[in-house]
Amino acid sequence: MTFTERMLKIDRRIIFLVIGVCTLLPLLYPVGLPIKISQEVRGVYDHIESLPEGSTFLLSLDFDPASKPELHPQSISLLRHAFRKNLRVIALTLWVSGTGMADQVVTQVAREMGKENGKDYVFLGWSPGGTAVIINMGQDLYGAFPADYNGKSTKGLPVLQGVQSLRDVNYAVSLGAGRPGVEEWYVFGRDKYKFELGGGCTGVMAPGLYPLLRSGQINGLIGGLRGAAEYEILIDQKGKAVAGMDAQSATHLAIIVLVIMCNLFYFSSRSRARQQGQAGA
Amino acid sequence: MSIELIIGAWVATGLTLFIFTFLYKDNPLFKLAENLYVGVSVGYTIVKTYDTVIVQLIWKPIVEHGEWALLIPVAIGMLMLTRYVPKAAWISRYAFAFIVGVGSGLAIPRTISSFILKQIEDTVRPLLTMVPGEGVTFTWSLLNPASSLNSIIILIGVSSVLFYFFFSVEHTGPGKVVARTGIMFLMIAFGAAFGYTVMARMSLLIGRLTDLVEFTDPSYGRPSLWLLGLTILTLVVMARRSTGKQPKEE
Amino acid sequence: MIFLRRQVPLLITLITGLVFAGQYYVPHPASEQMLTSVTKWLQIIGGFALVLGVSSLFHVHAVKIRRKEAGWGYSFVLYIGMLGTIAVGLWANGKEAVDGTMTAFGWVYNFMMVPLQSTMFAILAFFIASAAYRSFRARSREAAVLLIAAVIVMMGRVPLGEYLIPLSGDLSQWILNVLNASVRRAILIGVSLGTVALSIKIIFGMERSYLGGGKE
Repeated sequence: MTFTERMLKIDRRIIFLVIGVCTLLPLLYPVGLPIKISQEVRGVYDHIESLPEGSTFLLSLDFDPASKPELHPQSISLLRHAFRKNLRVIALTLWVSGTGMADQVVTQVAREMGKENGKDYVFLGWSPGGTAVIINMGQDLYGAFPADYNGKSTKGLPVLQGVQSLRDVNYAVSLGAGRPGVEEWYVFGRDKYKFELGGGCTGVMAPGLYPLLRSGQINGLIGGLRGAAEYEILIDQKGKAVAGMDAQSATHLAIIVLVIMCNLFYFSSRSRARQQGQAGA
Repeated sequence: MSIELIIGAWVATGLTLFIFTFLYKDNPLFKLAENLYVGVSVGYTIVKTYDTVIVQLIWKPIVEHGEWALLIPVAIGMLMLTRYVPKAAWISRYAFAFIVGVGSGLAIPRTISSFILKQIEDTVRPLLTMVPGEGVTFTWSLLNPASSLNSIIILIGVSSVLFYFFFSVEHTGPGKVVARTGIMFLMIAFGAAFGYTVMARMSLLIGRLTDLVEFTDPSYGRPSLWLLGLTILTLVVMARRSTGKQPKEE
Repeated sequence: MIFLRRQVPLLITLITGLVFAGQYYVPHPASEQMLTSVTKWLQIIGGFALVLGVSSLFHVHAVKIRRKEAGWGYSFVLYIGMLGTIAVGLWANGKEAVDGTMTAFGWVYNFMMVPLQSTMFAILAFFIASAAYRSFRARSREAAVLLIAAVIVMMGRVPLGEYLIPLSGDLSQWILNVLNASVRRAILIGVSLGTVALSIKIIFGMERSYLGGGKE
């Protein structure tokens, strides 16, 4: 076998090793390159900045542990921003396996910002039905969630004062990893109940949400770990997302080099095969 | 550092490394972790469903607030479970018919409004903008997605891709040009999707390795380093044993 | 009997489908109250559907253990994991933390479920790299366009790429916001038209695969 043929058939475990090293080294020895802020992420940030104190902010943490590295930093930054602006935060999740994680992140950030459960924020927990929950919240929030995650009755909570349904929410952001996610919040929520909607999503979902962004159906989009890093910079509190950006750069570069190399070997072996074919004829 | 956090760190690191061993070869450690994952996930879902549905949504409202009407969905739900009784399985059709009927009915007008009408509305925006004082202008900026030039490109993109997927008409002559334009647009979009998928997958790996690096801290007892050594040792022993077995069989 | 088995379910689908499609256009309080009640019912029925999905898994692995098929030991591990989590969860009343203190259920969630699920999906990173190396070849003009677009977006979305080639950042933003958005919009419109068509077929009984369960 020639060199190019050997390289084209290389053991995939060598590629695994390359990726592993490219991810690990920047985590141990970070560089800290500057990150440009995109218009999509700025859309969410600017809207939250413009909300007056006491406005109602709904955050739907529609993801499970599989998407934690991308959406967990987004949720931390959004909660920090909302609490800093003294907004009333209503948090919930539509994904059953993300419930524990959602409860933990809301409690953790609230404690960090000195906010009180029931007065400054409420975590409603999870309810089955996905889109049925969104419609039910749009009709009557207390019917969809008669009690919060700790079992306390939602009727009479100071944080929910004046909020009867989704129509009374000033801004909602859905951090979605799939279905139900941002699209369902628009179709079954904003379409009828007319609240402002922003989105956060994994890198896999992000390109598919650009039509909604362009038409103004969502006013901002935080895409993947890069979006989370941009938001951390905007609120001036760097965290895990910014720390992961160097490793992201290294792995992307590795993949680009691998793809270019494989194409070079492919074209070289193809031209050799053509030459041999011509010589044979 | 409490004892449950330290034990938790060791268990989490161990399970993470067991799954990573799949990159070397499919092995019993990976199968163990994989089956444990399915079991724990299902167990968690069952607990949450019991707590939310039975306790919070059914029991408390009926017993404490007297909402007897909720017995109707409970009855429909029970009908669904008859699927497991072969002779009575046809009764479950009533429940599925109800769910699917309501779901379809709810989805139709909302989907038409959100994803068809609104999206078409944004595509057929005016190509020239009227600015008070300046009259009619045409904005050229490629960097501003809302500029007139980009609106034309979006219009061309949407129509050519929609035409490409319309197979009832043969793609010949001018149709072929439109279809080929559609294909080029599609390839660029798939390339962007691939780039973002790579970004997403790498982010997940970065997240796991960040946690593993965090668990090399001495306050946890350095589980990452010890368990990494143990896992590699186990893989070597397993590999030796399998190569040892083969010559014996011969 | 055929009437009860086949026609009545189709009739239920027809009536409920038409009623709830029409409900969107009727703002009368009675119509809104009906929507509120029925979506509440859907939440409860959704819970039963989850039970249905989960119990089939129970059954498959129980059979495997009973028949002692190859790999039944792993099915046993699955069962232990499931029953253990349920036991711990019911003991903690389904709560991961009480007044800020983690329960045993929370321990299982944080130190078993989260690492297991995260890592399962994290190893995909390695496979996408290996797959890209083996198959991402510019065999044709279309594949070359796909490749170039992918490289531009991968460069432009990381700080290193924007630092080395500042144009890649702007170019990838243009690709995403204009070219990608137009294609995704066309796909969204097409798929939505298909969904609406399928929903109409289901409501009018032309599509019956959802019924399943038993003989005709």
